[in-house]
Amino acid sequence: MSADVSDLSLVRRVQSGDKGAFDALVRKYQHKLVKLVMRYVRNPAEAEDIAQEAFIKAYRALPQFRGDSAFYTWLYRIAINTAKNAVVSRDRSPIEYNIDRNNDATEESYDMQGRMKDSETPEGLVLTDEIRRTVNAAIEALPEDLKTAIVLRELDGLSYEEIAAAMDCPVGTVRSRIFRAREAIDRRLREVFEGGLGRTEDLG
Amino acid sequence: MNEELDSQLSAMFDDELPAAECELLARRLSRDEELRGRWSRYAAIGATIRAEGGQRLNAELARRVSVAISAEPLPAAVAEPAAPRSRPSPRVFGSRWWAPVGGVAVAASVAAAAILWVRFESPAANGPVVAQTPATAAGAIVEPSYVVPKVIPRRSIVPSTQLANYVVAHSEFSSPVNRRNLLSALMASESGTAGAPAGSEEPTEDVNDDAKSPQ
Repeated sequence: MSADVSDLSLVRRVQSGDKGAFDALVRKYQHKLVKLVMRYVRNPAEAEDIAQEAFIKAYRALPQFRGDSAFYTWLYRIAINTAKNAVVSRDRSPIEYNIDRNNDATEESYDMQGRMKDSETPEGLVLTDEIRRTVNAAIEALPEDLKTAIVLRELDGLSYEEIAAAMDCPVGTVRSRIFRAREAIDRRLREVFEGGLGRTEDLG
Repeated sequence: MNEELDSQLSAMFDDELPAAECELLARRLSRDEELRGRWSRYAAIGATIRAEGGQRLNAELARRVSVAISAEPLPAAVAEPAAPRSRPSPRVFGSRWWAPVGGVAVAASVAAAAILWVRFESPAANGPVVAQTPATAAGAIVEPSYVVPKVIPRRSIVPSTQLANYVVAHSEFSSPVNRRNLLSALMASESGTAGAPAGSEEPTEDVNDDAKSPQ
C-alpha cells in the first residue's frame, strides 16, 4: 500500500475547497501535533494555541502542497517552525505570558489566562482522565489477538503487512482485527462524552 | 452505521485503504459529521495507547481550527494572490519555462519550412525536372534510366524559336562582338540539343525552371 494515500485524498478535497476534509485532517493529527509542540512548550494550553496556529498556516499554504512529501511530514515542519517562532516571541515579550506580574493585562492575555485555567479545570481533567481510563479498560478487555493487533499498529506504528508477518496471518485478518478492536473501544468511549470528540461544527 | 464502511474508515485512518476507495471515503468523510466523530475517536484511542499525556483528548482544538478557517477564503482562492510572489506556483513556473522553448520551436519550424521550400523550388534538387532536360528527353540517344546522372547537364540558355528569330533579326543591328557572342551561345545551345525538334515545348519548361531558380 502506498503511503499517505488517505491523507492525499483529503488534501485534494481541501484544495478543491472542501473545508470538512481539512477538519478530518485536523482531527487525525491534533494529538500528534500537540505532543510534538510540547517538546518546545510545557503548557498544554500554549501547545494547543501553537498547534492551532500551525494548522491554520497549513490550511493557508495547502494550495502550494504538491505531495512531494507526506502530508504529516509537511505539517510537522510547519508546526516545528511555528513552535520555535512562538518560543522566540515569548522570550522577547515574557510579560504577555506572565500572568502573575501582569497588572494591566490586555484582552489577549486575559484570554490566555482563561485558556490556561480551562485546561486545568476539574471538568477538563476529569474528561481526559475518563477517556484514558475508558480506553485502557476497553483495551484490557479485548481478546488477545485484537489487543496485539491494535497495539502493534498504534504503539509500534507497524503497517498491516508487518503486523500480518508478526502475527502470522493474512493482511485482511489484520485489518479486520484492528477494526474490531477500535469498534469495541469506541462503543465504550462514545458513552463517556457526547459532544466532546464528536462535537459538530457546520463546515463549508 | 454500515460495518463495511466503518471497516474502510479504520483502514483509511491507518493509510491502508486502496487509493480509489480513499477518494470515495474522503468525500463522504468530509460531509458526514458522524463519520468524522468516529474518526476523531480513533485518533483519541491512538493517542491514549501511545500515552500522549499532558494534553486534552477532546475535540476542542479541532473545533477552534474549524471556527478559524470558516472565516478563511477557500484554499484555491488563496493560491491566486500567491502567484506573483518570488516563488511561483508550479503552473506559473511551467508557463515561464515553456515560453522560450516555444519561441525556439516556432523559429525552428519556420527555418525548416524555408529549407524545404527552397529544396522544393530548386531544380537541382529535383530529380524529375532534370530528367526532362532536352538531353534526356531525346530518348533515342540516352537510354531511359531512373538514375540521376552524377554530372549535372550544363544549364544552357535554349531559346525558343521565336526568341531565336528575334535575336538573329536584331543581330543585324548589333556590334560584331555582341553579335558573335549571341550567335555563339545560340549555336552552342542548339548543338547541345541535337536531335530535338525545333518546336519542342520542353526546352521552354527548362527556361522557366531557371527563371524560378533563386540563383
